[in-house]
Amino acid sequence: MVLDLTMSMAILALMGALATIAGCLEDLESDVGSQSNPNSQVQLAPQMGFLHRIYNKAISGEPVSNGLSAVTAGTVTVVLLDAKFYPLMAIVMGAFVGAIVLGIFATTSYAGRVASQTRFKQPLYMDIMRYTTPSIIGHNFIVNFCLVSLAYIQYEILAYPFSIPFLALIWGITAGAIGSSVGDVHYGAEREFQNREFGCGLNTSLSGRIVRKAESGLRNSIDNVWFCAKFGGPATGIALGLVVFLSSWPATIMQPKTPADYWKTIIVGLLIVFLLIIGNRLVEYNARKTYGPYKEEKEAAS
Amino acid sequence: MVSLLDPVILQSILLIAISGTLICIAVHFIPVGGAPAAMAQATGIGTGTVELAAGSGLVGLITASYMYSSLPDPQSQMLLILASGAMGSMIMIACTMLMGSMVYAFGVGVPFASAQVKNDPITGDRQDLYMSKGTQGQGLPTVCFVSGVIGGMLGGIGGALIYYVLIGLYSQSAIIGTSAAAVAGVFTVGVFYVNSVIPSYGVGGTIEGFHDPKFRRVLPKDAFTSFCVSIMCGIVAVLIAGGM
Repeated sequence: MVLDLTMSMAILALMGALATIAGCLEDLESDVGSQSNPNSQVQLAPQMGFLHRIYNKAISGEPVSNGLSAVTAGTVTVVLLDAKFYPLMAIVMGAFVGAIVLGIFATTSYAGRVASQTRFKQPLYMDIMRYTTPSIIGHNFIVNFCLVSLAYIQYEILAYPFSIPFLALIWGITAGAIGSSVGDVHYGAEREFQNREFGCGLNTSLSGRIVRKAESGLRNSIDNVWFCAKFGGPATGIALGLVVFLSSWPATIMQPKTPADYWKTIIVGLLIVFLLIIGNRLVEYNARKTYGPYKEEKEAAS
Repeated sequence: MVSLLDPVILQSILLIAISGTLICIAVHFIPVGGAPAAMAQATGIGTGTVELAAGSGLVGLITASYMYSSLPDPQSQMLLILASGAMGSMIMIACTMLMGSMVYAFGVGVPFASAQVKNDPITGDRQDLYMSKGTQGQGLPTVCFVSGVIGGMLGGIGGALIYYVLIGLYSQSAIIGTSAAAVAGVFTVGVFYVNSVIPSYGVGGTIEGFHDPKFRRVLPKDAFTSFCVSIMCGIVAVLIAGGM
C-alpha cells in the first residue's frame, strides 16, 4: 500500500502508541506475576525465613514467555482472519487466547514453585492465586492486543515481508527484553527493598530480605504493580515506543527512493544513537552528583 | 538437490559462520549484569545476555528485512542491508539502556559505577568511589553504554547478514521459494539464539563490556566455538533449501 507523508506519520504514531502501551503493560504484567530477575529474591526469601504473600511465577525468561503468548495470539488471529473475521475482532480473540495460555502457565508455575518450597514452610495462598491470576491475564491481554495490532499494521499496511505471528513473536521477545532490562529494575531494586534509604545502594547481604509489609496490611503482588505503575512500567513503555518509533522514523520522514536516500536514513539513525549516548551521559552526571560518592579517596585506596 | 561443495553454497555457509561469530562477539560487548544488576548490585543491564542480545538483534532483523523488501535490487545492496540491521539494533539497545539508566538514576537512586576500572576510559570519571558497599558496581557508566551500542551494531550486522544470505538462497529454491522470507527469518532467529547462548557460558552471566578483563579472556574461545557451531547451522540452513 502506497502512503503519503501524512498518512505514513499517522501510522508511525499509531505504532509508537501501541508499542508504548504494550511495553508498559508487559512490565506491569511481569511485576504483578513477579517474573524475571527480581523473582530470584521472591524465590530466595522463604529460604531466608521470610515467608511472603507475593505471586511467584517465573514461567521462563520474560522475553520467551512474552513471545509465547504474543505468537499464540498472532497465530489465532491469522486463523480467524482466514475465516473472514473482522480484523479487530480477530485480534481481540487472538489476544484473549494468548492471555489465557499465559494464565495457565502462570497458575502451574506458581503452584509448582511454591510446592518446591514446602520444606521452607512457604504456604500456597489460594486467595492470592484467585485474585492475581486474572490480573496477569488482563495485563497480558492488552500486551497481546497491542503487539498483534502492531504486527497487523506492519504486515497489511506497510507490507513487511514477515507474517503476523512471526512479527508478533519478535515484538513479544523485544518487549520482554526491554521490560526485563528497564522496568524490572524498579521492582527488583526499589520496590522489593523499599525499607532501605533511597540512594544508599543495595548491599548483596540484603538478598532475600524483601519487604513484606504493604502500605496497609501484608504486601501482595497487586501492591507491587500499583507502585511500579508509577515509574517502571511507563519507563518500559517509553523505551519500547521509542524503539518502534525511532527505528522507522528516518525512513518514514525522508520517504527514500534510491539507495543514496536510504543511506541518508542510516546516517539519521546513527545521529539518533549519538544523541542517546549524550542523553545517558547527562543522566549519569546527574546521578553521580545527586547520590555519590559513597567512599572517601583514602578509604578507597585502603 | 544441493551440493555442499558448490562455491556459492560454500560461500553462503562461510558467511553464516561469520555472522554467527559476529553475534557471539556482540554479546560480549553488551553490558549485562543479570539478576544482581536487576537489584542494582552489579554494573550493566538487569537482564540476561541471551534476552538482550536476541531482543536487539531481532529489531535489527526487522529493519533489515524491511530494507531488503523495499529496495528494487536488494542482492546488490548488501552493505545497505547490513547497515540498516545495525541501525535497528543500535537504536533498540541504546533506547533500552537510556531508559534503564533513568530507572537506576531516578527510580532506584544509585550513581553509576563500574567495578572493573578505576576511571571510565571515555569520560575519565572515578568509578571506585561511587561503588556502594557490598556491590559489584551499579548502573550504566558511559563506557558500558558505548560498549553496548557497539555490541548492538555487531549483532545487527550479524543478523542482517544471515537474513541476506538465506533469503538469496531460499528465493531460488523450488521447495520453499514462495515463503523464503519467513523461513530465512525464522532461521535467523534460531542462529541468533544459538550464538547468544554460547557466550553466556563464557561470561558466566555478567560482563561489563570491552573494558572488562573477562572480555579478553573469554572472547577468543567463545568466538571459535561460535564459528564452529555456526558452520553446522550454515550447513543445515543450506540443506533446508533443497534437501541432500
